[in-house]
Amino acid sequence: MVTAESIQTHIETAMQCELVQVEGDGHHFNAIIVSAEFQGKNMVQQHQLVYRALGDRMKEEIHAISMKTLTPEQWKDVNHR
Amino acid sequence: MDTQETIKQQVTTNQVVLYMKGTPEFPQCGFSANAVKILSLCGVDNLFTVDVLTNPEIRQGIKEYSNWPTIPQLYINGEFIGGSDIITEMNQSGELLKLLQK
Repeated sequence: MVTAESIQTHIETAMQCELVQVEGDGHHFNAIIVSAEFQGKNMVQQHQLVYRALGDRMKEEIHAISMKTLTPEQWKDVNHR
Repeated sequence: MDTQETIKQQVTTNQVVLYMKGTPEFPQCGFSANAVKILSLCGVDNLFTVDVLTNPEIRQGIKEYSNWPTIPQLYINGEFIGGSDIITEMNQSGELLKLLQK
């Protein structure tokens, strides 16, 4: 079974991230990803970066991953609200 | 016509197109159901949907078309808007409604 930890490690290895949090039940996962790589990109491009990081795992193992992508600045704003 | 051309025709000849699992009446996946619900709440009455479960070639082809590995996928005026998360977020921010009114 796919674990949330393995997805988290995978994203952390493939991208420069300030924060990656993944939780899930083996089929559906929720992720928060904070990365400077998202700067200047729209939401589609941001999610595409994460999908690319997950590569073939999206085709085979992972049925669905719901994600929230934030730049470090956006993350700071969220935390100070 | 090859699959990529079929998709291009679908998204350019219909204003709002949703590639989904199942049909609006009987969605086969919670994320597809969510997308249909949001579009209906936004007042979309001309939604064109494609059930990828009964169209395996489109199911594969749409992922290549948009470089996006998951379903549902929303297109407005020929442009790829996003999947379930983005539809939800753009609905909350009001951006989706703005796009639909263009």
